[in-house]
Amino acid sequence: MEEKLVTIREATKMLGVSIDTLRRWDKSGSLKSVRYSPKGHRYYNLDDLKMMANDLFSVAKKWALDAPALPKQEYYCPDSLVFKARLGRLEKDLSKMDEVKNIFPLITAIVGEIGNNSYDHNLGNWPDIRGIFFAYDINKKQIVLADRGQGILKTLRKVRPSLNNDEEALEVAFTEIISSRQPEARGNGLKFVRQVISDNNSFSIEFYSGNAKLCIKHGSENLNIKNSDINYPGCISLIKF
Amino acid sequence: MIIQLNKFGTTLTSRQDGREAYSAFLSTLQSVPNNEEIVIDFDGVVTFTPSWADEFITPILNTYNGRVKLLHTDNPSVEATLRLLEKIK
Repeated sequence: MEEKLVTIREATKMLGVSIDTLRRWDKSGSLKSVRYSPKGHRYYNLDDLKMMANDLFSVAKKWALDAPALPKQEYYCPDSLVFKARLGRLEKDLSKMDEVKNIFPLITAIVGEIGNNSYDHNLGNWPDIRGIFFAYDINKKQIVLADRGQGILKTLRKVRPSLNNDEEALEVAFTEIISSRQPEARGNGLKFVRQVISDNNSFSIEFYSGNAKLCIKHGSENLNIKNSDINYPGCISLIKF
Repeated sequence: MIIQLNKFGTTLTSRQDGREAYSAFLSTLQSVPNNEEIVIDFDGVVTFTPSWADEFITPILNTYNGRVKLLHTDNPSVEATLRLLEKIK
């Protein structure tokens, strides 16, 4: 079946971004144009655009990787107070879902830990954009969080200089009680996330930082840490329930 | 003394909020007689995390060791949080 192609101008309307942004995405590989006309015009696959428009993780990924810019206001939590308010809204929305009525506090709790972790570890040290991307799709049962912070490796190296790479850093972050804000007692959040997902058959998480990817599937303790071909300066996570 | 956590809110998630709750409650805590039990009641709390608990519950447990009673709760986020805190104690 032949691909349906649209012009770059139509693509900007569908995604609500500028032509320059699309050109940057094309260059970085995050949204490739699929064909050039003899005159050099770019075209986009309609299916790619539809997926991008509806897929929160793709939107978050672009924000995390692209040149510094604020995310759409509806996804942007510039500080922990805005995040707290939106977390309360997530809690309320989840509480209305019959299929998660007994476990929704666990979902809100792990989202709270991941989001607050971003603020706690980057306070006063955001490399460019302060705050986090936080969005969810109740129908798809997906929650996405992302930050443009320092990332897990840089954060943990403050107290564990011997860490060699992003994969080691993720392993430590999800298994050891270690705080990058010593002597403050911190560092339980991601261990909690692992415990909750391992103890319940209801959720899974993908978590990326630097060029490492972690994937904990429901009911499993295995962290499945691998090298990712994309390098995220901060952190990005996708929770499915 | 019974500390009803829902008086601090029903979504208790961040360290910042936990620390603020503890600071605000400290003078009340200090007025408890030496022989009195401190009961922490989770009734009405909807979402609870280790970050909040570590700033509020942990210092109370450390200061009033042996006199603190945590009331049973069915809330899964409270259970999971207390289980983690127990593990890392």
